[in-house]
Amino acid sequence: MYLEPTRKQRSPSDDPSLGMRLGILAVVVLLAFSVLGFRLWFLQMISGDQYTVMADNNRLRTVTIEAPRGVVYDRGGPDEGSALVENRAGLSVGILPMDLRNEEQVVPRLASILEVPEDELWQKIETAKEDPYVVTVLKEDVSEDDVVAYLEEHRVEFPGVRIEKAYLRDYPRDAFGTHLLGYVGEISEEELQGEKFRPLKAGAKVGKDGIEHTYDNFLRGVDGTSTVEVDSAGRPKREVSMSPPLPGKNLWLTIDSSLQDAAERGIAEGIELAQSQGFAGADAGVVVALDPRSGEVLAMASYPDYPLSLWVGGMGDQEYATLTAEDSNNPLFDRALKGLYPAASTFKPFVALAALENDVITPDTVFTDPGFYQIGQQRWKCWEEDGHGEVNLVEAIMESCDTYFYNVGHKFYKREGPVMQDFVRQFGFGSPTGIDLPDEYFGRVPDKDWKKEKGKTAEDKAWKPGDDVNLSIGQGDLLTTPLQLATGFAAIANASTEDANGRVKLNLLVPRLALKVTDNAGNVEHEVETEKRAEIEVDADDLRAVKRGLELVTSEVGGTARAAFEGFPVAVAGKTGTAEKKPEDDYAWFMGYAPADQPEILVVALIEEGGHGSSVAAPVVRRVLERYFQQEPSVLKQLEVSE
Amino acid sequence: MSVLQRSSERPFGGFHLGAYLKNVDWLLFFVTMALAGFGLAMIYSASYQDSNIARPTAYVDAQLVGLVLGFLGMVVLSLFDFAWLTSWRRYLYGFTIALLLVTLVIGEERMGARRWIALSFIDLQSSELAKLLIIASFGAFLAEGVELRGRFRFVLQATAYVGVPAALVFVQPDLGTSLVFLVIYFTMLLVWGARWSHLAVVVGTLLAAVVAVLRVLPATFDVHLLKPYQIERLMVFVDPQLDAGDAGYQLAQSKIAVASGMVTGKGFMEGTQTHLNFLPAHHTDFIFSVVGEELGFVGAALLLGLYLLLLWRAFRIAAESKNLYGSLLAAGVIGVLLFQVFVNVGMTIGIMPITGLPLPFISFGSSSLVTFLLASGLLQSVHIHSRVALYGGRVKGEPYGQLAT
Repeated sequence: MYLEPTRKQRSPSDDPSLGMRLGILAVVVLLAFSVLGFRLWFLQMISGDQYTVMADNNRLRTVTIEAPRGVVYDRGGPDEGSALVENRAGLSVGILPMDLRNEEQVVPRLASILEVPEDELWQKIETAKEDPYVVTVLKEDVSEDDVVAYLEEHRVEFPGVRIEKAYLRDYPRDAFGTHLLGYVGEISEEELQGEKFRPLKAGAKVGKDGIEHTYDNFLRGVDGTSTVEVDSAGRPKREVSMSPPLPGKNLWLTIDSSLQDAAERGIAEGIELAQSQGFAGADAGVVVALDPRSGEVLAMASYPDYPLSLWVGGMGDQEYATLTAEDSNNPLFDRALKGLYPAASTFKPFVALAALENDVITPDTVFTDPGFYQIGQQRWKCWEEDGHGEVNLVEAIMESCDTYFYNVGHKFYKREGPVMQDFVRQFGFGSPTGIDLPDEYFGRVPDKDWKKEKGKTAEDKAWKPGDDVNLSIGQGDLLTTPLQLATGFAAIANASTEDANGRVKLNLLVPRLALKVTDNAGNVEHEVETEKRAEIEVDADDLRAVKRGLELVTSEVGGTARAAFEGFPVAVAGKTGTAEKKPEDDYAWFMGYAPADQPEILVVALIEEGGHGSSVAAPVVRRVLERYFQQEPSVLKQLEVSE
Repeated sequence: MSVLQRSSERPFGGFHLGAYLKNVDWLLFFVTMALAGFGLAMIYSASYQDSNIARPTAYVDAQLVGLVLGFLGMVVLSLFDFAWLTSWRRYLYGFTIALLLVTLVIGEERMGARRWIALSFIDLQSSELAKLLIIASFGAFLAEGVELRGRFRFVLQATAYVGVPAALVFVQPDLGTSLVFLVIYFTMLLVWGARWSHLAVVVGTLLAAVVAVLRVLPATFDVHLLKPYQIERLMVFVDPQLDAGDAGYQLAQSKIAVASGMVTGKGFMEGTQTHLNFLPAHHTDFIFSVVGEELGFVGAALLLGLYLLLLWRAFRIAAESKNLYGSLLAAGVIGVLLFQVFVNVGMTIGIMPITGLPLPFISFGSSSLVTFLLASGLLQSVHIHSRVALYGGRVKGEPYGQLAT
């Protein structure tokens, strides 16, 4: 058997051009493969980097892990402080712009589900698109039962919409310390430009007001990030990298919750009292309680207030409208450091010291009060129409004799320059106290220059005897905040011991709310120290005379607040005030410290349109002092009206 | 069986194993097996994490069944002298038409198309096998009509000959595979030696037909021969910015997958586009994207290199065939391979529209794998039996070239 090679047996006539035709086909093959090869080379070798970024963007999601803000405690008793601001877990709805589709349908539906205006939602989504691979929160603190359940159920209809866990501010006692605590909200455009929140980006949550704002850099933690690999359905598969969040530090306040409570209840009671005395317009008030030795604020309340929880998750337009409505009496406004009022008779101790130190009077100077003071044709009435008769300085303070101080004011007018103004300014009138809260108001101590600048007519521009007369009883153009008054009065309470020359120093301290900052383990990271703003040197005898007057206010027959403090076991030194603010009803002031010989606590109370300091504001201060000295609350009775 | 009688009195009696082994195109064989092995590996990588399957190797196992069947068929085909097929032409053609008709009647409908016949051991995609059957019978048809090259009428007959099965596939519907029939038809006509003028008419008619189907018929007569998704795919290809839903997404994700593989790839079984499911159909139509992503330019070039080797052997075999029929068989296989590789790879890298054509030897699907293994066996047969007469001595001096006439 053999095998015959079978090659070359074809008839050339069969395929005259076979080689050429196969050649053409081969060229087509080579062309096709060259095209593929070139395209692959272009994609993989030339553009590989940019497509790798796209592949990573496909699979990697960077999620922000929110750092909880620090907890805010009160000053704490012997055991532990009670928390004033805490965190709770909540749910928020966010958007991942890269996954968002069919915006025209999704956004309007989402707006109605989240109950936010549609244009507002569009605006947020447009901002979010600047960072399309990051989830931006659209609405915080959504209801799990309605909103979240619905979105989860219809998740395919809301591409790009994400439900995220979030820390939300929580207030164990809502509407408590409202103004001093402040609130947290999304960083504003303006804040992004400023220095305070420098590295933060849009969408970050920062303290907007109160100590949340001032101590934001301690309270705010550092958010962590987690990079997760997801599949095409967006399901996380594994964590690629993660940097843990650093929780914020805890802040301890000087606030004593018990006193704060007494202060807030006190205002409400004071308003009730004022209304029962016929002052129907009484609807707002302030209490400030300090430790005069350190400047620590023990309580600070401004009424009306509102629940801070309204801010959590963003305040709705309707709620905001309610809070800012005319008849709501501006609950957002912190009257303690922004409310500007005439100091009225509470200003008298400062004027008395000014007069004594500038030798306008001596402690023994006596003026006769016929019930008014007259310069030319013009008469200024004393609140006691019948007059106080002959009064010395101590009696003038005790009885709050206006005529005495009109005399003093008129004498100051005859002096060269703003002697009285310069003296009282040392106590902080007309300038911010420096408290650790934002946007404190200045107040005003009027003088010749001020009037010249502000007056519109020649008549207005002139500084007249009446200006000094009015100023001497804390009226006229004088304006002070309750906190300023408290701080200034604390300087009188906080005198050093007498030196060899018979001089004492009054220490003007910066009031403050922060005590210390601790980390999560409880270690103290930062201790806030008392800051002294100024020292005012006065004669010890002069000071004694003024203090004597203040003590008699609450203790001596004829003292304007004697009735209010009747039966109170601790000696209180104080001063009433009834500020005229025509055409409104008078504003009721009282300021007092106790124990009178060694002051530990100083309280200022103001009831707007509350009528008389003696019968309305003094009982409020008594309420706070009762709590401080652990006394049973006295039964409020209708007090005899003086001043 | 006249062929058997003519070939040998004892058809298999004179078989010489040594001569067979000596004349096997081993390069063709190894390239074929390398491609099939490459395919298995890529299918494993693309599917082992698939949540729809019970075992990680489920797809690989199914593909292995096809590999074994196809391997056996390939070996058997290489043993047969391809020339015998000419006398079976009418049976082959009749069987092809019958198979496609049966598919339309009793075929399994999946995703809106009837393409599969469920057999007990394999789901047969009949159009795959039909490609090879048409190459065999159409080659014989052309070889028989070699004297009629100058007649346009014969070209028209040839058009109808392939047009019928192509139309049967088109209505399944399977646009891609019906285009493969057109390519087979055109490639074989070219190699057969059709007149250039005739080829020009054919190409011109084709272009006119495309315009008619896409523009004139829908617009003028409201006749829609293409399904909306088919048009969408074409439109997205023409203008990827359209981003029309799925088609645009697939194209974009596939390009990202391939390009992000860069030079050496992300590593076998490490492709993120694949394993995180961004890449659709990654073990079937888009398996080349997996190659590109995981093995990079190096791997993609290696795969294309294997195809080039295979094509080179096919060209060589076409040129050295003992008769025109063998050349036509090889040409048909070249046409199918070239078209499917170009269209499939081109689709994954954004230079061809998305069609459902599998990547030869690589894409998951036993019918396709079996078909291409058989095609390799057919090439092998042309190679071996053009070099040596394996069956007895009777064939000596027989004018094979005339056998077809």
